[in-house]
Amino acid sequence: MKTRWALVLAAPPLAIALAFFVVPVAYLFWVSLHQPSQSELYGAALTLGNYAGILGDSFYLEITRRTLGVAAAILALCLLVGYPVAYFVALLPARRRMLVTLLLLFPLMVSNVVRAYGWIALLARRGVINAGLEGLGVIAAPLELLYTTPAVVVGLMTILLPYMVISIANTLAALDRRYEEAAQALGAGPLRTFLHVTLPLSMPGVASGTLLVLLLTLSAYVTITLLGGPRSKLLVSMIYDGVTAFQWPHAAALSFILLALALVLTGVILGVLRPARVQGTGR
Amino acid sequence: MSALGSSAGEIDVRLTTVRKSFGPVLAVHDVDIEIPRGSIFSLLGPSGCGKTTTLRLIAGFEQPDAGEVYIRGDRVTALPPYKRNFSMVFQSYALFPHLSVAENVAFGLRMRKTPRAERSRAVTEALDLVKLGALAERYPRQLSGGQQQRVALARALVIKPAVLLLDEPLGALDKMLREEMQIELRSLQQRLGITAVFVTHDQEEALTLSDRVAVMRNGVIEQVGPPREIYDRPCTEFVAGFLGASNFLDGTVAAREGATAIVETAAGPIRLGADAPVGARVRVAVRPERVRMRRDGAAGLPARIRDIVYRGPVTHFYLDSAAGALVCHQQAADAGAWSVGDEVRCAWDPASAVVLSDGRA
Repeated sequence: MKTRWALVLAAPPLAIALAFFVVPVAYLFWVSLHQPSQSELYGAALTLGNYAGILGDSFYLEITRRTLGVAAAILALCLLVGYPVAYFVALLPARRRMLVTLLLLFPLMVSNVVRAYGWIALLARRGVINAGLEGLGVIAAPLELLYTTPAVVVGLMTILLPYMVISIANTLAALDRRYEEAAQALGAGPLRTFLHVTLPLSMPGVASGTLLVLLLTLSAYVTITLLGGPRSKLLVSMIYDGVTAFQWPHAAALSFILLALALVLTGVILGVLRPARVQGTGR
Repeated sequence: MSALGSSAGEIDVRLTTVRKSFGPVLAVHDVDIEIPRGSIFSLLGPSGCGKTTTLRLIAGFEQPDAGEVYIRGDRVTALPPYKRNFSMVFQSYALFPHLSVAENVAFGLRMRKTPRAERSRAVTEALDLVKLGALAERYPRQLSGGQQQRVALARALVIKPAVLLLDEPLGALDKMLREEMQIELRSLQQRLGITAVFVTHDQEEALTLSDRVAVMRNGVIEQVGPPREIYDRPCTEFVAGFLGASNFLDGTVAAREGATAIVETAAGPIRLGADAPVGARVRVAVRPERVRMRRDGAAGLPARIRDIVYRGPVTHFYLDSAAGALVCHQQAADAGAWSVGDEVRCAWDPASAVVLSDGRA
């Protein structure tokens, strides 16, 4: 009886996931296994050539390396900036924590396109920063700020930071203070209490924040295109380029390489941070 | 683990007129405590009485508004918890979920930078002490409540603290296990000569475990003493009522015969050992198990059986008298002869009746 109701309740979302996710992804994979065609979506012959072409091409290796570099930099910055912020947010009383969380979410209400143009206004050759520095006589010629990889990193990082802060803050706020007291009772000062108890116990939040930021970085497009320009392309940009050039099977294969990369990285993060081992309380 | 050295008479924990309020609420009001080395001191009282706050003041998790805290003669009032010589077992145990049993127990030694070899020897010893040597590599979530409790105890004992603080450590266990752990805890404490402060709201637990009990109410210690004294000679109505049931009788001292006072109640005279002067209005407490029922016509307070409740080893008799309701507990073996509606006479040893200091009859 109970299982039948569970099935009834689960059926509609399962059907939707099947129709709009599993089937298209399977189809996309099917597409990626075919030769390109001038007139059709894909050619008739089955081939692994699309994958072989990408994996054997040093250009794509470079793009992949850049993508990983950007993701690593964004993750590092989000953790470095986000953890301290989350720590202090978690210390706030519940009502004020709610308010601060809302403030953190506020930038997410502004479209990424608008935010990217904001960065362009700041970073462009005649943008606020260059104009300001030139006006002050600090630099003679405008700095090359826009359309660089650092511009992409900073632009994406500021968008993704709230995800990291909120994930970690929620875990820290739910942490039983008795753990920290127990550590202190055993002679651990504030720093060692943090390193040996608070930090490891916040790993579920760090893991979920890291995964969110990583996956959103890998799938971001607008910010990368607007701030990275033609020289700082990432894997997603190459998929888009493939689609616009009507190289459907090639773009499909690239999509699966990106998906595989995301899965591997997710596995690595979960393996390193092992959030599950602190889940379940000490009782 | 060696005994911690039980030089008699040394005071391991001392609180002098300690006061703590949270906003407008006075949680601990001028509390004075002295705990001699090697003894268990219980803080007993209902929730909100200030017993846990008192414990947290000793630990340093709370700062007193006034008064001083001493551990082993050192004034620690201004020291943070991690610089005080104590360890603590929490009600929730607070075992670190990301560390194994052995790592949990080793934590305090690591913080003290104990060399690795000595550390692992001490951990093994502590785990053997609580009979958990076989589970050293498990994680807390893989243990039962009772096992977690033992790990928490081993973790607290392994650092050989000057004082062991226990915050309702048995509260989360079921009744059978709790009684077993009480006895085990007591024998462990006596074997190791540990000084311990024990917070509980369970009066039986306090009586079983303690050398001395402090009964707290509204931030004030109402009475301190050995369990037997607290139970047999309660000073206040609250203490008498909180530690088991009590009968309360109001009356006036009508006459004195040496050390014995004869108190006239609404139901007749009762005799008890007290130094209250003739004419004083007093409130008298008598434990239900001290009350003996006799057949109508014998000496004693006349009463009538309203209800009889069979409770296994004892039977509870609920009585009505002119001085108010009374309760009498009788061993099951003696209880069979009575039935509801019987007219009885209630009597007790005058030495077992107590005049309460706050009895405004």
